[in-house]
Amino acid sequence: MTVRQSPLLYVFLALPVLYLMAMIGFPIVYNIVMSFQEVNLGNVADWNRPFVGFDNYREVLAEGAFRKVFVNSIVFVTANVIAQIGIGLAVALFFAQNFAGASFLRGLLMSAWMLPALVVGALWKWLFTTEAGIVNHALLAIGLISRPIYWLSDVSTALPAVTIANIWFGMPFSMILIAAGLSGIPREQYEAAALDGAGSLARFRYITLPALAPTLLAIACLATIYTMRAFDLIFAMTKGGPLDSSNVLPLLSYQFSFTQFQFGTGAAIGTFAFVIVFAVSLIYVRTLAKEEPV
Amino acid sequence: MRVWPRRSAAVVPMTDSPTSGGRSTWPLTAIAVVGVGLYLFPIYWMFVSALKSAAEIFANPPTLIPRAPSTEAFAYVIWRENVFRYLRNSLIIAVPVSVITLVLGTMGAYAMSRLKSRLVDVAIVIVLLLQVFPEALLATPMFIIFRSLGILNTFPAVILATASKTLAFGLVILRPMFARVPIELEEAAQVDGCSVWQGFWRIVVPMMKIPLMVVGCLSFVQAYGQFVYALTLLSKNEMQPATVGIYSFVGAEYADWHRVMAFSSIFVLPILVVFIVLQRRIVEGLTAGALK
Repeated sequence: MTVRQSPLLYVFLALPVLYLMAMIGFPIVYNIVMSFQEVNLGNVADWNRPFVGFDNYREVLAEGAFRKVFVNSIVFVTANVIAQIGIGLAVALFFAQNFAGASFLRGLLMSAWMLPALVVGALWKWLFTTEAGIVNHALLAIGLISRPIYWLSDVSTALPAVTIANIWFGMPFSMILIAAGLSGIPREQYEAAALDGAGSLARFRYITLPALAPTLLAIACLATIYTMRAFDLIFAMTKGGPLDSSNVLPLLSYQFSFTQFQFGTGAAIGTFAFVIVFAVSLIYVRTLAKEEPV
Repeated sequence: MRVWPRRSAAVVPMTDSPTSGGRSTWPLTAIAVVGVGLYLFPIYWMFVSALKSAAEIFANPPTLIPRAPSTEAFAYVIWRENVFRYLRNSLIIAVPVSVITLVLGTMGAYAMSRLKSRLVDVAIVIVLLLQVFPEALLATPMFIIFRSLGILNTFPAVILATASKTLAFGLVILRPMFARVPIELEEAAQVDGCSVWQGFWRIVVPMMKIPLMVVGCLSFVQAYGQFVYALTLLSKNEMQPATVGIYSFVGAEYADWHRVMAFSSIFVLPILVVFIVLQRRIVEGLTAGALK
C-alpha cells in the first residue's frame, strides 16, 4: 500500500476534521437552529423548544442597540484593518532596509501580539485611566489636551480607545505577514527598475504594491477575522459601554445570552456575525487558492 | 536533512552585510531601537506599575522609573489572591490543549501533505473556514450543548472547546511544513519493508521536531490566555484560570492597578520569556502557515 493511498492516512485526515466539525461546525448549526427558537433559562436544557420563525431576527432588527452596535462593528473592523495594514506596511518597509539587528527588532514587536487579549485589555484600561493613566499624562505634558479625557467612560471616546488598543495588539501580526510578502519579491526587479531610473516612490508604486496586492488582500481578510474576535479586549476595557458605544456584534450576542438570558436573540445576533465572518473567510480561502493551488 | 529552513526569507534582511553601499546603518538601527522601545512601552509600563506602591501608582506626574520599587503588589496577589491557584488552573487547561493539538494536528497535517485525494482539498477548506468563527459566538451554543451533556463546570469542557481553536490553527501552520518533507524518503523506506505508520513515526515526525515545538508553544500560549470559554463554561471560582482571575480584578469600576499589573506580570512573564527565546522560529512558523 503506498503512502498516497494509505487507509491509515484517511483515518489521520478524518480524526481532526471530525473533531473540528463536532466542536465548531455543530455549535454553528446549533446556533442557527436556536436563532429560530424561543430559548430562555426555563427550556435551555431541553432539546425540544418552540420554533418562532423569524421572531428573534425581527426583535433584533427592531432593537436600537443592534443598529448602533452593527455600525460600531463596521467602524471598529474597518479602522483596524486600514490602520493595521497601513502602519504594518510602513513598518515592514522600514525593516526591509538593510541594517544591523533589523530582523531581531522586527520580531520583538511581535511580543505585543503574543500577550493574551484579556491582558492587553486590562493593560490598556490602565493606560487609559482618566486620573492616573499615562496616556492622559503624556497628552497633557505635550500640550495636546488641556484637561484629562474620560477615555473609557465617555460615549464619544470609548470606541476610539478600544480601537487604538486593538490596533496596537494586532498590527505586529499584519506587519510580520507583510514582511514575509515583501521578501518574496525578487530583488532583480528593483535593480532593473533602478537602472531604468525609477525612484523609490516609483519602485514602490509599480513593483512593490502590485506584487504585494494578493498578500495584502489575504492579510486584510485575516485582520478582519481576528478583529471580529476581539471580545476579550473590549470585555476587559469597557464591556461594550458606556451605552453600547464601544460594543461589537459578538459581545452584544454574548450579553443577550448570558446577562439577559435571551439565548434565541443572542443566537440571532450571532448569525449576523457568522454571515459576515463567513463571507470574509470565503474571500480569504479564494485568495489563498489563487496564490498556491491546494 | 533539515526541513525547517535555517533562515527563512521572511526574517532575513535583503543582504547579509550590515552595511549598504559603504554607508553605516547604525542610524537606522538606532531609529528602530527607539521605535520598538516606544511601541512596547505598554509592556514596560505593566511591569513598572507592578513594582510601585499604592501611593506611587497614583503619583502626579507618574514616575517612569519607580522611586521606591516595592514587591508589595506581588506579595499581595500571591498570598491574598491565590495567583498560584489561578496559574495552576491555566496549566490544567493549556497542557492538555497543546497535547490534543499536537497529536491531531500532526496526524491531520501529515495526511493532508501525503494523500492524493479530492477529500484533502475538502478537508483543507473545512479547516480554513472553521478556524474563523469568533469564540464569543460559539460560547453560547457550546454552553447549551455541554450543559445537555452534563459536563459544564468541568475542565474537559474548556479543554475540548479551546483545542478546537488551536487545532485549526495548528493544522494551518503544520501543513506547509509537512509538505516540505520529500515523500521519496518514506517511499524508499517502504521498499525496505517499513509500514506507513513506521514511515510516519520513525522518519517524518523526528524531522518535524522544531515545527512541532513551535506549534506546541503557540497552542499553549493561546490556551493559557483563553478567556471566553473559561468564563462561560466554568462557574466555580476554584476552577477559573488566570485570565478570569485578572478580569475579576479589572471588571470593577475601581481597580488596584499596581496589583492588577502584578498579577498580569506574573501571568505573562513566562510567555514573553519563551517568545524571546524562540522568536525566530515562531515568526517563521506563523508566516509560513497563514499565507500558504
